Amino acid sequence: MEATPKTSSGVRTYALVFTVLAVITILEILLSQPGVGVARQVLTPTFLMFSLAKAGLVAAFFMHLRSDTRFYTYVFLFPAALLLIFALLATVR
Amino acid sequence: MTVEAQIAQEKPNWRRYFTWNTDHKVIGVQYMVTTFFFFLIGGALAMLIRSELAQPGTDILNGVQYNRFLTNHGSVMIFLWIIPIWAGMGNYFIPLMIGARDMAFPKLNALSFWLIPPAGLIMLASFFVGAAESGWTAYVPLSVAAPFGQTLWAVSVILLGTSSIMGSINFVTTVLTMRAEGMGFWDLPLFVWSMLATALMVLVATPMLTAGLVLIAMDRLVGTLFFNVPAGGDPIFWQNVFWFYSHPAVYIMILPGMGIISEIFPVFSRKPIFGYKAIAFSSLAISILGLTVWAHHMFASGMNPALRVPYMITSMIIAVPTGVKIFSWLGTIWDGKLSFTTPMLFALGFISMFLIGGITGIFLASIPVDLHVHDSYFVVAHLHFVLFGGAVSAVYAGLYYWYPKVTGRMYNEKLGKTHFWLNFLGTNLTYLPMFVAGLLGMPRRVVDYAPEFASYNMLATIGAFLLGISTLPFLYNAIVSWVRGPKAGSNPWRALTLEWQTSSPPPEHNFEDTPVMTRWPYDYGESPLAEPGVAPAAGD
Amino acid sequence: MSIEVSMHEDEFKAGRALGLDHRKLGVWLFLSSEIMFFGGLLAAFLHYKINNPSPAEHALLDVTLVGINTFILLVSSFTVVLGLDAIQHGNRRRLVLFLGLTMLLGAGFLAGQGNEFVTLYRHGMTLKSSVYGSSFFTLTGFHGLHVLIGILWAGLTLRKAAIGRYDDGRYTGVELFGLYWHFVDIVWIVLFTLIYLT
Repeated sequence: MEATPKTSSGVRTYALVFTVLAVITILEILLSQPGVGVARQVLTPTFLMFSLAKAGLVAAFFMHLRSDTRFYTYVFLFPAALLLIFALLATVR
Repeated sequence: MTVEAQIAQEKPNWRRYFTWNTDHKVIGVQYMVTTFFFFLIGGALAMLIRSELAQPGTDILNGVQYNRFLTNHGSVMIFLWIIPIWAGMGNYFIPLMIGARDMAFPKLNALSFWLIPPAGLIMLASFFVGAAESGWTAYVPLSVAAPFGQTLWAVSVILLGTSSIMGSINFVTTVLTMRAEGMGFWDLPLFVWSMLATALMVLVATPMLTAGLVLIAMDRLVGTLFFNVPAGGDPIFWQNVFWFYSHPAVYIMILPGMGIISEIFPVFSRKPIFGYKAIAFSSLAISILGLTVWAHHMFASGMNPALRVPYMITSMIIAVPTGVKIFSWLGTIWDGKLSFTTPMLFALGFISMFLIGGITGIFLASIPVDLHVHDSYFVVAHLHFVLFGGAVSAVYAGLYYWYPKVTGRMYNEKLGKTHFWLNFLGTNLTYLPMFVAGLLGMPRRVVDYAPEFASYNMLATIGAFLLGISTLPFLYNAIVSWVRGPKAGSNPWRALTLEWQTSSPPPEHNFEDTPVMTRWPYDYGESPLAEPGVAPAAGD
Repeated sequence: MSIEVSMHEDEFKAGRALGLDHRKLGVWLFLSSEIMFFGGLLAAFLHYKINNPSPAEHALLDVTLVGINTFILLVSSFTVVLGLDAIQHGNRRRLVLFLGLTMLLGAGFLAGQGNEFVTLYRHGMTLKSSVYGSSFFTLTGFHGLHVLIGILWAGLTLRKAAIGRYDDGRYTGVELFGLYWHFVDIVWIVLFTLIYLT
């Protein structure tokens, strides 16, 4: 007998999240085609934000971080933050 | 318990320690005996090193052999002894201390142990194919060009890192989900807190080393260019990846030992621990801060100079939580009713020797000092004071303290004291001269040295042989007492943590009745006839 | 008492009081170590991309194809949650269907990656051609390996589902597989952006 509360967002939520993910991905593909007249300085931060959004949506809804105990979120975010620090410090020449 | 069961429990059935067994107590003993074996191997390598260094000139070993011995001395001691021994003690005692029947994932636990013997054999086998010779730090590009043994070394360390990560998943899950009824986080013994903080570091730092070792292995085996300088490869990148793990690693090597000291002082002072929450928080602080200081090992590497000062600052700040512990321990034994048993002696020796090692660490955190003594014997002295004077003292303290619980027998106190004094003398004699030699300019990792350093080296070698000899009374004591020592009973130390509230050794499922926390584990001296807090579960 | 007495739910009461399932916690802890492992490989890639840029090789990357591949992996995450939802409502057959779809989509992703790798090799970008090549193939190669392991895990989960091991009261095993699969998807989301888009 499962003792943990039912973690399920429901099919409707999943479908909505998937739609957002799909739209963002299609946008990414379109914006990265050659000949698109958007400057690199705009595209790069946009793509970075897109990827954070997609990752966040998958983590929050598909991995149920939103509905589960917040502790799992900390377990996930702590190494992510640490990694960011490392990447920043180790790629500097 | 039936008579048959009692008899079965009394005779240690040594055979089961050679099999796949998911009982955390069996796994704990497997870890402890296996790692101690590697400690002896690492020690033998040290004896060879010190024999060579007793006098100037290359008498016994040539340069290549010397480099291989020093590399494997460090690697064996770090990866096959001091890191896994804590996993072994944690394995045996965490479930008992929190009132659980076993670890959360018993099969994963057994797998964690069984990765170690093959990994150890692989590392030792490297001697037959040209052992690794680039130091335990394996700096590139030397380690990429090194003989085949370096690949075996990398494989071995990857296996050991995997074992470590699996163990820490088990420790964290067990402590978070399997505590006895009534045991909140502020009732946890401090050894458990220290293991939690250690597990945190293992989880996030070790995989970085794994990634780095993969890069080295790929350069060696497949011809990738990660560390190929003409192609744009960057040796400093390896150092960043390596030290990102290896600095927290030194806290992984010491924190559980500090947890043991926190257990021992209250028992043998008959006083509550001073500053329980401060000590618990300091463990977490060291763990988290320790993940941000790694490049203080790289001050002399040619790293970006602008980045050095922040590392110096964080490295000095980390002395604060450590200081909190030292003062809390002093506050614990202050005015206490002290009994100088062997575990207590090793705990006291820990304080003095770790203090020397720790303070010299602060010296090294200062960039200008470090630039002067980097890669000199000053560093060798520092690291051995913290690792040998500190961590190994704590291991011995724990082994003596818990010996009666694991074996059901009491060790011989006279032999224990002999061991302690030989060890204390030997450690100081071996490593104190090295501080001076380092300050005077003797470099580390050299097979030969200038004659002006001769007297320091001779002293150090004499001390090292004293250390080698000091292991003998311990080994004799450990083995003979297990067979013939007097029965210890469940609680020879009259301690309050839960592992002492069950038989020695514990029954298969640890406790006859499900334990319920009824009193704080450090309530020593609070009331003279206070009974330890284990009650049968309701409904019994 | 037998040696292999199984653990009773009671033993994990302390965890449940905190809202923790011990198996889920174990997997999350494992994933945190995986974040750091991929992080090391990713840091290597970024280090060399920033300090040793290789525009010629970067230009060889097929963003459109791999973008479609990214989409396939996202669909596979969707099928995993649909499968989980199905078994949470007691529908074993649908779970099996969605797990099977996940495996197919995963295999499709790997095929797409294989295609990309072969194309790049034909154009001279290899593990040994430059530090860029070394770090590209190592990073994406290990990701592909994780997808492969995920497909195998999906297969094991599918088999368990098929023989009736899961129902609307027992589905943690499916959740655990899902956590791993979504994680591998998240890693790809980050990799796709940092390798292909930027």
